[in-house]
Order: sequence, then structure tokens, then C-alpha cells
Amino acid sequence: MKIDLRVNGKAQTVDVDPSTPLLWVLRDHLGMTGTKFGCGIAHCGACTVHVNGSATRSCVVPVEAVAGADITTIEGLSPDSQHPLQRAWLELNVPQCGYCQAGMLMAAAALLERFPSPTDEQIDAHITNICRCGTYQRVRAAIHRAAAMKKAAAARTA
Amino acid sequence: MMSTIDVSSRLTRGERALTAATSLTRRDFLISTAAIGGGMAIGIAWPSAVKAAPSNDPAVAPTEVSPWLVIHPDDTVLLRSPLPESGNGSMTMAALLITKELRSDWRKTRVECISLNRDVRSNHVYGAVKGDVFSFAGRSTKDTLMRLLQQVGASARERLKVAAAERWNVPVSEVEARNGLIEHARTGRSLRYGELAADAAKVKLDKEPDIEPLEDAALGNIARGKIVDAQIVNGNAIYGIDAQAPGMIYGALMQSPVHGGKLKHYDFEAIRNMPGVLGIVVIDPSEPRKRLDLPLQGIESWAQSAVVVVAEHYWQARKALEALPIEWDDGPGAQWKSTAQLDQALLEALEHEGEKIVKDEGDALGALAASERIIEATYRTPYADQAPLEPLNAMALVTDDRVEVWHSGSISAQSFIVAAEEAEVPFEKVHLHQCLVGGNFGRRNFGDDLRIVVAVAKKFPGRPVKVIWSREEMMRQGRYRWHTAGKLRAALGDDGMPRALQARICQTGYGVAGLDNVAYTNGLIPNVRIETREIPIHILWGSYRAPGYNSYAFFVESFIDECAAAANMDPLEYRLKLLEKHADPGWIKCLREVAARAGWGKKLPPGQGQGIAISNWGNWGSNDPQAGTTAAVVAHVEVSRSGELRVLQLDIAFDCGRVLNRDAVVAQMEGGMLFGLNMSLNEELNIANGRIVEGNFDQYPMLRLADTPRLNVHFGGLTGHARYSEIGEPPVGPVGPAVANAIFRATGKRIRSMPFRKHDLRWT
Ligand code: FES
Ligand code: FES
Repeated sequence: MKIDLRVNGKAQTVDVDPSTPLLWVLRDHLGMTGTKFGCGIAHCGACTVHVNGSATRSCVVPVEAVAGADITTIEGLSPDSQHPLQRAWLELNVPQCGYCQAGMLMAAAALLERFPSPTDEQIDAHITNICRCGTYQRVRAAIHRAAAMKKAAAARTA
Repeated sequence: MMSTIDVSSRLTRGERALTAATSLTRRDFLISTAAIGGGMAIGIAWPSAVKAAPSNDPAVAPTEVSPWLVIHPDDTVLLRSPLPESGNGSMTMAALLITKELRSDWRKTRVECISLNRDVRSNHVYGAVKGDVFSFAGRSTKDTLMRLLQQVGASARERLKVAAAERWNVPVSEVEARNGLIEHARTGRSLRYGELAADAAKVKLDKEPDIEPLEDAALGNIARGKIVDAQIVNGNAIYGIDAQAPGMIYGALMQSPVHGGKLKHYDFEAIRNMPGVLGIVVIDPSEPRKRLDLPLQGIESWAQSAVVVVAEHYWQARKALEALPIEWDDGPGAQWKSTAQLDQALLEALEHEGEKIVKDEGDALGALAASERIIEATYRTPYADQAPLEPLNAMALVTDDRVEVWHSGSISAQSFIVAAEEAEVPFEKVHLHQCLVGGNFGRRNFGDDLRIVVAVAKKFPGRPVKVIWSREEMMRQGRYRWHTAGKLRAALGDDGMPRALQARICQTGYGVAGLDNVAYTNGLIPNVRIETREIPIHILWGSYRAPGYNSYAFFVESFIDECAAAANMDPLEYRLKLLEKHADPGWIKCLREVAARAGWGKKLPPGQGQGIAISNWGNWGSNDPQAGTTAAVVAHVEVSRSGELRVLQLDIAFDCGRVLNRDAVVAQMEGGMLFGLNMSLNEELNIANGRIVEGNFDQYPMLRLADTPRLNVHFGGLTGHARYSEIGEPPVGPVGPAVANAIFRATGKRIRSMPFRKHDLRWT
């Protein structure tokens, strides 16, 4: 079945079984491997993308459910890898193996859209991704750092 | 054009034991340079390769040494690392060691993995497939490896200096190398490395330069973070699971749910017409295979009986596999009906003398028999899965006489040789693309995934086949931390200190790291007896972050705490007293540091407690008391009256000798502490009719951000002793016992088995 998608602002048509999870459509049909497979049951968050701006675990979303929706993946988080979160991530050396980090970043980006200066409690409640390497403490610090960067940038342009 | 600069003699074993700073001579390595494309390539050969090389044979002459380092005319420096990157920073570390000596511009540095194919075609010049550069699962501070990489950088730098001095017609002693430039201070002139590289390749040195001693934390000043991080944050990093090739097809697999079982029957007709299905491959491990010399030999690297469904797309393969009727012959493993049955077998065995006496010093049994103050406790740890977040996978392309593989294995040589073994082609025809490793923790050492994938690809010659394990398949087909039980007995003297210790261990794996090699059992307790018994069952086991130690540090440090309580002494004071005569000052230094930093002994509200533990990973020889890495942890916990546990804070102090890159060490300490915490609180695999029950994170819980305690890493335990010992494993050991000991102080309850979440911690 042909399904129309909008991924990182670009129109795409895929010919797949409509029950195929979005994750595998991205990775296997569109060749976009930044979105990761970790568990397949919505538990780890490695596959997190934005669907119309909301953080969504793409391993359990059949592609037919997102036909026509706006999908953003890690490859589309910023055009130049300069999203405040990406900068903060490098500044604080967050990644270890890095496998969970695309999902972490996408979850964090959606969080910052909703809460520009999130509290620790808000971070705890919204960032529920698994990192087996144990980067959580730095993830938390980098989210705060990115929030501060965004604020400073907004103050400059105001 | 290529030229041979220096032919080395070999290092002796004694020389290898010396530290990097003092023992390198210009004769250690074979160095060659080549001008390529207007730049310079420098090669350096491992001594064993030199020994093997009949130098007159043009096919293996030193000019065939392949480069570790290439300087391009545009100043880009390409470094080749013998270590893959699995998150511990080892690939970056290799690059930093070269860069430090080369004094090149880090921003213009690129790193890739060495080619093992070049290694075998060029007389093992990297010493990676056979030889000394093999480094277990990415340890980057192996002394000999460090020196080799430093020499690569130094020898290249010196040639660049000579080339510049010749061009300016000044003595080489007047020029300096700095951040990618050769400078002549007197005349204010400078040249870029890229401008000099072609000339530098022609330079002949009378003597290779010595390498500089490394100062503390020397590498952290060159760069922060890992060289792959920039790709990780924008999704461009390529792990094995991300490899792509034109025409690729996919496989989904199921292995015998009871390890060691056999495929009895399957019905391909049921799925033949499903969309995309291309076929089924049956893996039969009993087929005869030629066995090569692998870094890690043994059943862990073999395949289990399996069916693999191959389809145009991965999801099609998964769906077809789910629909495929399969019957298994479970084999003898099915006799293990439950975890309780295994537990009982282990506990019963503890009542009998061990089959091996690992250590028997003094007269422990006599002292115990004569003592009236006996402390006794039995501890247990269950099977646990490393569960790196990237599921097992590999891609392979087999053609008539050649195999090409993409793999996120943690030991490149293991992947390479497994591919050769399974494809039955000579090494020269094996091409490995070493991908980033999405977490290892010991699971990716064996290449069992790659072996199956090569076997599948053989049936689809000319097409790249990628097989991806489901999380369930991976978790149930592990190489686990083994199931262990141990009974510890001590006789306390009048002063409350242990006079004798008897430890009896029964396990489904092997080894007693963390028990027989720690301070207490090496001279501090006068009478020590350690007995072991193995109950081999069908379930496969392997390396799980700090094998053995991850259980025995818990046994020993919980037990020492029980002894301290029986002696009515503060747990810190008790340990300090016990360690008074220890020849390694690191233990006491770590304890004092962590206690001071964590505010040991401060007043806490009811339901809160602190616990302390210390151990050592990596001191395998008892000749040198200062070896390996000692790590001491203070845990601060809170237990509600209804029994809900929260770990509030973990402090760690450690002694690995010296440190080269502080932030990289902090990251490993933080990660290692959380790994140890998850292992202790959460992890357990159960057995039902020979099968592993848990398959995914809904049944095998993982700590999340909200559960993360404050993690503090302290450097005041370092002794400065001349070693750079491992840092990935050491924090895993003491966290569990520190938490258990803290729970005791908060609630009065002793926790003697993992996972802690299964214990009733209610208190009044
Ligand atoms: S792969 Fe989707 S949540 Fe784990
Ligand atoms: S960085 Fe490895 S899983 Fe998070």
C-alpha cells in the first residue's frame, strides 16, 4: 500500500504493509538510521521521533497511523547540528556508546518545547528513556544547560 | 616512495613490564614512512611482526607496513585505531596518544579503525589479528599499546621537524612543533604539517625520538569528549545495525529457546507466500566446522540451533518468523524446571566441601573449629544479561571466495576470525567493517551473532544479508553473568577482627575474582580457605562487566560489614583497622577519601542510612600489591516504612594509579556505578523448563533518569603509582554491597541476595 509521509519537512511516499512500525519504515525503507531500535515495545525510547511535535516511540506506531503527519527525526532536529541540546550534549560530553542518545535528544527537544525551563521533576517525568551506559546525570545537566542557552539566545534577540 | 628507517630488536617480557615513560627505546619498533598523494604516511610495526618477517622477501618487506597515520596536504591527520569505540572512549584515547606526541591540531584529526585485512596481507604489521595489539574488549591503557601509539606520533613529528629545518636551512634543534605547525621562533617563520608532509616522508633519522613521559591528566587538555560524539548527536554515527549496502536483504531469527536444544521441525509452507519472504536458513551447530585460533575460544562464540527467516525487509522477516510453526527438541537443559530448583542445587552443594581448593593459607578450618565467635552468612546472585541497548546484529556479503562483514563487535580480531571460520575463506579474503559498538559490557566479545549471519549469507551469495536480533531473542540467548551462591564463615578474635575466613562458592560459571585476589584474603586475614564447585548447566555464560567480581565484591563486602556489626564497630573503622598492614596504600586512601567526601557518619533521619564497601578489580597477581584498580563507595539510601527504597547518593573514590583524561574517567565511573546499581537492585533472569523467562525491559527493569541518585566521583584516592589501570569494571563491584550495607543501617535488615527489589524492606 502506498502511504504519504512528511519526514523532516520532505514529502516521501513509501509502498509498505500499512501495519509496519514507523521505526522500520524510517530505517529500512527510507534508509534513515539515526532513529534506533532498542526494544520494540515502547520501553526504551531509542526510537523516539516527533509526530506533529510530540515525542513518540516509533517502534509501536503503525505507519498508516502517521500518514500525512509531520515527522521529525534526529536527522532533522537541526539543519546544522546546532540545536542548543546538541551543543550542550557536546559541551558536557554526554554520550557514552551513544546508541540511546538520538532518542534522548528527541525526547528532550519535545520537553523543552513544552517547558522552556524544566525543573528536575519535569525532566524526571518526561525523560523516561533507557540508557544502559548510565549517562542520566549528564543528560539532566545538559537539558538544563540547553534551556539556559535558549533563554540567553531569546534575550539577545528580544 | 617508501623508505625503511629503523629495524627494531624485540622487547623482552621484562621490558614490557616497565612503564611507558621510562622504557621506550628507539629500537622498540619498526618504522617506515611513505609519501602518498603529496602527504606522508607513517607505519610502525610491532616487534613480533619484525621477528616473523624475513626481511629480504619483497612480499613481506618492511615497506609493506601499512600506515597508522597519514598527513594530507590540507593538514588533515588521519589516525588509525586498533580499538573500536564502544562508549568507553578507547578509540579517542588511541588518537589522543598519537596526537600528544605528534602535536597536531586535534580539530583536523580524523580517526578510523585499522584494516585487519591489511594486517594479514602485510605480515601482521598491526599485530592485531595475531600478535600483541589484541586488547581485550577495548582496553586502551595497555602499556605496550600506549607506547606504540606514542611512538607513531613522535616519529612522525620528528620527521616533520627535520623537513622544516632543511627547508629553512637551520639546525633542527631550533625548530618546534606546536598544534599542527613547525615553527622557527628566531625568524618567526612557520610551516603547516600539510606543507611538510611530502618532504617529511623522505627524511631518514639516525635515531628515532624518545617518547615523553605523560603528565597526569595530559590527554584531557587536548580534547574533551569522544571523537565520535559529533556524529552521535546528529544521527550520523554508524553502528552495526545501521550498515547499509545496495541490494541488502534482512533476516529475523529464533534459536533453540533451551540452550543446547535442537530444531525438530518447521513448516516453511506456512509462510512461503507471505510478503517479501525469500527463504529460510537452518543453522545446525553440529555441522563440522574448521576451528581457527580465536581470541575468545569456546562455546560462547558458537551458534545455537536456529532458524532464520530471510525477507526483502526486516519487518516482513519478523512477521513471517512469528507465523512460522517451529518445534524444538529441548534436550537435557529442560530438566532445570525453575530458578528455585537451581537455587536449591547450589545451596545443597554448599553443604559439601568444594571440589577445588583455590586458596588454603594458615589453618582456617582449625581456627574456625576452635573459635567461639563464628559469623556465617550465605549470599546469592542470579543470572543477569548485559543488555547493551543495540540489539545483536551483523551484516554479511559472501561471494565465491570472499566475505565482507559489517559488525559492532567489541574485539575486531574476534569478528574477523569468526567471519573467516564460518565463511571458510582465507584471512586475505575477509573484509571487516568495524562499526561503532552500541554498548558492550562483555556481550559483544564473542561474535556469536556474526557467525550466524555469515552462515545465512552463504546461502544468499552476492547479496548483503543483515540479521537483527529482537530484544527478546537477544535477552534469552545471552552469555550471562552466572548464577552463584556462596557461604562465608569467619572466626573473630577477641578484638573482633577476623582470624580465619572460609568461603565456599558454588556457581554455574567459573572464577572467583573479587574474592581470592583482594586485600583481605592476601595476607590480612591470617587463615584463609576458599573452595569452589561448579555446577555446569546448559545455560550459556560469559563476560558481564567485571566477571566474578560483580558477585564476589557483594559477598565479601557484605560479609565484612556483618563482621563489623558483630564486633560492634563502625564499618569504616573496621575496614581501616583490617587494612592497617596492607602493602598497597591505595585501599586506605580510597576509604578515607570517600568517607570524608560523603560525610561518613553524619546524622541522618530515621529510615536513612549510609553504607560503605571497597574492592579491587584487576590485581590478578599477588606479587605486586599495587595493581588493578581499587574502588570504594559510600551509598546513602532512604527506605520508607512501607519498604520503598531510594538510593539518594553514591560517592566513589578510586585508585587506578594515574589518570590521563579526567572527564573520560568520571564518565566511566558514573556509568559503572549505575551499572552496578541496576545489577544489584533490578536484574534477574529466571528459568522455566530450561528456558530463560525474561525477554524485554518490561520484565527486566532498568533504572531511569528519575531513579538516578546523585553521583560523585572523587580523585583523592589516587596514589600516583605508575600504572593506568582499568576504570570501566571497578565501580561495578562495591556499589551493591554499599547499598545493601546502607539498607542495613537504615532498617536493620541484611540483604544477602540480588536483586534487592525482591526483598521486603518494611520497617517500624
Ligand atoms: S525501540 Fe521503541 S521504545 Fe524501545
Ligand atoms: S550512551 Fe549507551 S545506551 Fe546511552
